[in-house]
Parts: sequence; structure tokens; C-alpha cells
Amino acid sequence: MHAQMTHVHPLVFIRRNRTLPVPGVVTVRTGQKVSPMDVIAEVEIPTRHYLVDVYRSLGLKTPADAEKLIDRKPGDLLQKNDIIAETGGMFSRVIRTPGPGKIVSISGGRVLIEAESRKVTKTAGMSGLVTEIIEERGAVVETSGTLIQGVWGNMQSGSGGLVIQQETVDGELLPSAIGLNVRRAVLVAGFCKSPEALQAAAAAEVSGIILGTISASILPVAEAQPYPIIVLGGFGRFGLDPISKKLLISSSGREAAVNAVKWDRLTGERPEIIISLPSDGEPYPVEVEYEAGQIVRVHASDHLGKVGTVQKIIPGLTRLPNGLRANAAAVKFEDGEMSVVPLANLDVLHMTSEFLGPTDEGG
Amino acid sequence: MAKETFEANSVLGIDIGSNNTRAILFDVVEDSYHFIASGIAPSSHGEPYFDIGQGVFESILRLQETTGRMLLDNDGNLLIPSRVGGEGVDRFVVTISCSSFLKIVTFGLLNDVSLSAVNKLAYSIYGKVVESIGINDRRPQSVQLDAVLAAEPDLILFAGGTDDGASRSILRMSGLIANILEIMHPARRPRILYCGNAKLGKRISDGFSRLTQVKVTRNIHPTIDDEVLEPALKDLDEMVLDMQQKKLGGLDRMAPLCSTPPIHSNQGFHDVIRFLGRQYDPAKGVLAIDIGGTHSVAAYANHNFSTLHTLGYGLGTGISSIAEKSEIKNLMMWLDGTRSEEEVMDYLWQRSLYPNSIASNQSDLDLELAATRHILRLIMNDLDLRGALPSNRFEPILISGSALNRTITPEQSLLVILDGVQPLGICPLILDKHGMLPLLGAAGRLDPLLPVQVLESTAFTNLASVINAVSNAKPGSVIMQARLVYANGSYIDAEIKQGSIISLPLASGEAGELQLKMLRRTVIEEVNIYNEPFMVRGGVCGVVIDARGRPLRLPENAEKRRELFHNWKFMLGGK
Repeated sequence: MHAQMTHVHPLVFIRRNRTLPVPGVVTVRTGQKVSPMDVIAEVEIPTRHYLVDVYRSLGLKTPADAEKLIDRKPGDLLQKNDIIAETGGMFSRVIRTPGPGKIVSISGGRVLIEAESRKVTKTAGMSGLVTEIIEERGAVVETSGTLIQGVWGNMQSGSGGLVIQQETVDGELLPSAIGLNVRRAVLVAGFCKSPEALQAAAAAEVSGIILGTISASILPVAEAQPYPIIVLGGFGRFGLDPISKKLLISSSGREAAVNAVKWDRLTGERPEIIISLPSDGEPYPVEVEYEAGQIVRVHASDHLGKVGTVQKIIPGLTRLPNGLRANAAAVKFEDGEMSVVPLANLDVLHMTSEFLGPTDEGG
Repeated sequence: MAKETFEANSVLGIDIGSNNTRAILFDVVEDSYHFIASGIAPSSHGEPYFDIGQGVFESILRLQETTGRMLLDNDGNLLIPSRVGGEGVDRFVVTISCSSFLKIVTFGLLNDVSLSAVNKLAYSIYGKVVESIGINDRRPQSVQLDAVLAAEPDLILFAGGTDDGASRSILRMSGLIANILEIMHPARRPRILYCGNAKLGKRISDGFSRLTQVKVTRNIHPTIDDEVLEPALKDLDEMVLDMQQKKLGGLDRMAPLCSTPPIHSNQGFHDVIRFLGRQYDPAKGVLAIDIGGTHSVAAYANHNFSTLHTLGYGLGTGISSIAEKSEIKNLMMWLDGTRSEEEVMDYLWQRSLYPNSIASNQSDLDLELAATRHILRLIMNDLDLRGALPSNRFEPILISGSALNRTITPEQSLLVILDGVQPLGICPLILDKHGMLPLLGAAGRLDPLLPVQVLESTAFTNLASVINAVSNAKPGSVIMQARLVYANGSYIDAEIKQGSIISLPLASGEAGELQLKMLRRTVIEEVNIYNEPFMVRGGVCGVVIDARGRPLRLPENAEKRRELFHNWKFMLGGK
């Protein structure tokens, strides 16, 4: 059975496609070094239009009659009240633009004017090297460094120096933890259920927040923040898993790129933290089977949020405490407890084994 | 049934869902098709495989393990047709429900005529109507245009005008659609299905085909009184499948192996329910609901009417739709108060991240069953709002979905369904525990005998025949006396109290005669025809009389709810 995986690696080779959702202009070139917030590609997406119906407004016989009176062409820039069409003659009637904009098309006696647009950009999302251009869409960026995947993001991205505060990394993010030293920094906290803390962080101009878990009740507030919020474990109060915590603590002070996208299983896009390092990493595997010896995190039901090691995969179906039957594994948790956990509730924390060690230090 | 089946005997069906892929084997046993076994594996259309093949392969492997029958060769290829030694299968069908929800914009003329009809068409596919525009829409056209652009539709359904009827409004609307398409990047333009005034079909097609792919189908309102959805539904389904086939890795490789082209699971589901709708009491109708991971499907059919609805509620990623604050309060009513709203929201959101996770303790299982009840309520409310159900009397009710397969006892499943659907009258409750309804529909396109014979077999779990009694009497007062007479002449008597639910033992498939004496103006059907004894069939929960009232009223006080839930479970023989 293929395993659900979350990648937590101290040093790996990372390759990411950074592409726009619609075709646009690529602003980088192959071989270019980029920083997390450098724009890779951009596009203007029209958001507001005027539709001026010359044919009906002038009560003409056919749309073709209207088009004969329109003295403009697609691409023309217009100011408010500019004349689009006029009948001429002694009692000339005119049609003017309702506001400034650019003519998109003229058809059927109607003039379509683009009044507003918004710029959509795609940033590099990590410090690295552009290795390939994806025409009209973006580029491939590569780096080596620390990779920590999350499960939820508020659709923002950013980067900043990683700031670890002892009292928040193990506990709740409270407004009192948002001091003057957090400007442009990426904060780390165990969990958050305080909307005020998130708002205070915005006022303090943080560059991002990394949370072990978040209360679902504050999701609307989290989604409204202008900086990235990434959640590593999920929803509730179980906080940071010890392995991610240790890795983040060991990276304190480094520049962390936070890509707080939504987890999309259909595209494989996942929220993640990338800390580029000046060493070469190896690529990581994208699929594994469940097997003994793996470090796993429980993501549902009993033992939620705990990390342990798979002792063995139990053959066949196992009866759970509530009577349901499922494929399961015997897992030894860090506190020494042994338990049987359904495989469907396990996330393999894929990481290089040399990083393992006592995880209670420094936290 | 002694009819001959065709020479190809075994049929392997694969249903690729958003969470799981099922392999189901049907074969002929003693001249009749039977369900043999099923294998299930996580679907693999998403990360890390991005190809349906792995999930299909694993599900067939598990089917092989269960049956001991070789279906794959040493290279992992499907053995088709079957070999002399019995390895392999003769026919292969595939149904799909793992695609992402399409964003649909509908255009029509009159709200109650073409716009209403085209929205019905949209409800039937795996999608969501994100914008709907008719001629009575008071927004300026530029605002309508911006609204459609902001919605970023994958598909436009365009209806309006009777055949040889209105054309100017249609052409004006098509001008707006053309403007929208012109603004969008060619790679992002939605496809169009035109199902309006047939006279304009070619003109519409010619006009749009320079901008996007357009398909013209039969007018869904050829006259003002006639609504004909079937041909458009078929063309729409083909169009959507074609769109998804390009996105779904591995389907193009698998499709040539299929004995009939792959279809959407909801269409197969609908096929079977339509067939059943013609078999049962014409005064009632068959209701079937499948609760999936990202969406649910509901179909209703009677002798001359059928309807199909795909709704964005599910117990996987689709659970986030009920994890919103506004819905949590209603869901909390199905819980006994031992968990806070915050905990429940956190649980549901966590579940949406890991749709295949399993509740391993009783409290979490109770929460998932509460979510299932709530989803069933939401589905029934939506069907009601859409005017999809002529009445709340059904014969039978078929329910499928992994949530109900995860219950521990049949009584649990029964209570969840009754609490969620809250049917009226007399209805058999049937559980599709293997999730095979879509595949029966697909296989029925090969051989109509297959679904008929499998439906007659024991592949489905007949939970109970349920008699739903409604009375205004005080809780605890006797509203009915019941006598169930068994085939051997013995009988059992019961007094039914208002607010209770009881089970009279009658083994699955066995027939008994039920005599009911109504007291205190108790009603079962709209017309009280049950003064005479009538025949009932037993299920695994026997014959159930539900006198809890409609709609079910749950106490606000959590302690009282806990007691009530315990009593219901106890009365049905649970612990």
C-alpha cells in the first residue's frame, strides 16, 4: 500500500515549477539567480469592463450601421467622456465612454472597453537558480536546502529570517508574543487560536508565520492576512511535531521562504517551507510503501499529532478499539507507548535518518 | 430468472472515485449474473502518481487475493477475454467520479423555463453552477460579463427559446458570451453546450467555433410546456468526459480495453435508478443517495420521471463545506454534547486534509456518523429546494458510500439513514455496501440482464422495511398497535409509543403480514389504506416502525439528546 508522505528534510535537492495560472510574460532567463520574492512571470488579468451598445443606444437599423459610426479601433486608449461614435449632421448624437479604458473589441455594434485589470505575479518562492523557461507561463527553479511540507496555507507567499521564541514554539501564539523584533521575520509557533495574534502580526509587518496547528475557527482571519501562514500538522491544538520543530530550531536565523498555497492533491502542489543552503542535496523519493522503521506522524483520531516509528505492518485487517477493521501498523511513539494505528491515519515523515536523534532537546 | 445470458460471462467493473478505486467482479452462476467479490485501493489520479493505473492495479490485485482468480498476467496486464482455465474476464467496464468539480455558467431566457431547465442539466454533472444569467437579470451586461470572467468557468450551458421561437434575445445573449470568450485567453476559454432554439443551432455553432469548442444538442425546451433533458444530458456527459479524459492520467490508456466507453459514475448510478423506478410502486419513487469523498449523488425515479443531482457534500475533501460555522450548529445537534464546536470544526477540517483517514475510537466514529446524517439532511433540503422530489415517500431507498460501510452494526446504518433522510410512509431501506450501483449501470449498457439479476441477488444489504408513523400525540402515548404474523402462523405483538422506534424481528428476505391498528390519528401514508393487513419483507434489522415524528425534533439540551440517542439505539437492539 503506497504511503501518505510529508517531506521533512534537512538537506535535499528541490526543483519546482513556478507558473502562472494563465499565459503571461516570463521575466527571468535561464541561469538567472533568484530570491524568493523575485517575480518569475506576470500577467494582467482584466477585471472590469464597459460594454457600450452603440447600435441600440442610437436606435440604428443594423449593427453594421453602428460600426460605420464608430470611429475607434481595438487597442485605443480612451479617457472618460471621449466620443466613441457620432451620427454627424446638424443634430448629431454622440456616444461617449463611461470611464477611462482600452478598447478590447468592436462587434455587433457594441464596443467592449477594459476599465480595470489586476496584475497576477508568480514569484520564485525560494532562493535558487532558474534552470528552464516554461514559455508564457514561468520557469523551473532549483536549489538545495531544507524542505518542510505543510498541510494548509492562506494563499500568500513571503520570506524572512526565521525567529524562534522559546515560549511560542512549544505553545500558543498570543498577541503578547508579537514584539518589535518580528518585523520582516518568519515566526514559529506551536498553535494558534487567537485572531488578535494574527492581526497583531500583520500590524508588526511579519514576513510569515509557521504554525504546528491552527484552530479552524480562525481560518477566515488567517485567510485575510497579507502575509503567509503555513500550518504543518493540521487543525486543533496538538502543535508542532518534534521533528519539524527540531529542524526549524536548528535553522533559526536563516532566510526561510514560505509558500502558503492550498494543498491540492490533483496537482501535487503543497504548502511548504524552503530554506536554501550552500550545500548540494540529493533528490528525495516521491513514493514509498509503508514499512517497518519509518518515522510516522498520526494525522487522525487516536494519537493525533504524535510521532513514532513503525515497528511492523500487521498483515490482514486489524480490529480497532471501536470495532472497525482496517489495515494497520504497530507504532512505537516517542514516549515509549506502543499502539496499533490504521495505515490510513499515518503520514510517513520522509527524512534522512542521520538527522534523527533525541527530539526533546532544544524544544 | 431462467433467461439466457450472453456468451461472455464475467464482467470486471472498475469505479474510480475521488478517494478509492473499486474493482468488482460479476460472473454467471447457475444461469444468472452474481456479484462475486470486490477489491478496494486508494485512488491514484492525484499525487504522487497522477495516473489512475496504480489504483486500478492495486484494486484488481486485492480482488485477485479475495477470489483466488487470476485477472492479471505476469506483466500486470488485464487478461481479457477470459482463458480456458478461467483466468481473466470477458468484459471490462469503467466508471469515474474522481474528476475535479467543473465551474459552470448557465445562460437562459426565462427564469422559470429555459434557465431553470438548463440549471437542472448542470446539477446532473460533477460541477457547480457559479453564475447564472437570464433575460430578467437586472445587472448591466458589463457587470454580467465581469461576473462570468471572475467565475472562470470551465463550461457554459446555453439554453433559451422554443424551437422556431425567440431568436433576438438568444442572439443578443450570444453576443455577450462572444465578448466574454474574446477577453479570455484561448487556453482558458470554456467549452459551450448549446441546447436552445434549434433553428439557431448552426448560427450559434458557427459563431462560437472560431473562439472555442462548441456542441449543439437538442433543445431542452422545444415547446413552452415540454422539458426534454435526456438528449442534452447525454451530450453534456460525453462532452465533460472528453474534457476530463485529457486531464485524467491513464484513462486514455484504459479506455480502449473497455467493452463500452467509460462513463461517469453518476450516470451509471442514474441508469440503475431509472430502471428501478419503473419496477416499483408508481405512486412512490425510488430514491438513491451516494455519499462520496468530494461530492454526493442523489437520483430519484418513478414510472415516468427521473432526476439526477450531484452535490458538493462529501466525507473527504467535500466535508469542508459542512465545517463552516453556519453549518456546525446544525451538525452539533446530532452529537451528544461531549465535544465543543471548536473541536468538531477542527476534526472536520482535519478530515478534509486526509480523506482516507479512519475514526479509530467511538467518539470520532460518532462524529463522522453525525456528519453523515447532516450531509443527508442537506441533500434532502437541496432536493426539496430544487423541486426534485414529487413526495417524501419512497420505495425503496438505496444508500451507498463508504461512511455507511464504516458503521459497526446494521442498526447504526439504519439510524443514520432514517435520521438523515426522514422518509414518510412505508419504505424498504437498502444498503449498497460494495458501492456497485454505478458499475451496474455501466454493465447494463453491455447487457441489461446483469443489473437486473444482480439487484435480485443478495449483493445488497436489505436493512429493513420501515414504517414511518406520524402523529400529534404526546410523547410516550400509544399511537399504534402492531401484529407481525410470520409464515408459520406465529405472531408478535407490539404497542408503538409516540417518539419511539422499534424493530420487529423478521429475517432478511422473509415475508410476514403486518396488521396495524392506528390510534390517535396516526398516519402512515397520505391515504390511510392500512386498516387491512399487508405484506412486509424482513431485513437484517427486521421490520422497523419509526414513530419518532417528522421532522425529527432534537432537544437543545445535550444531556437530553444523549439520553434520546441512547434510547433509540437501545430500542433497535443496540448497546
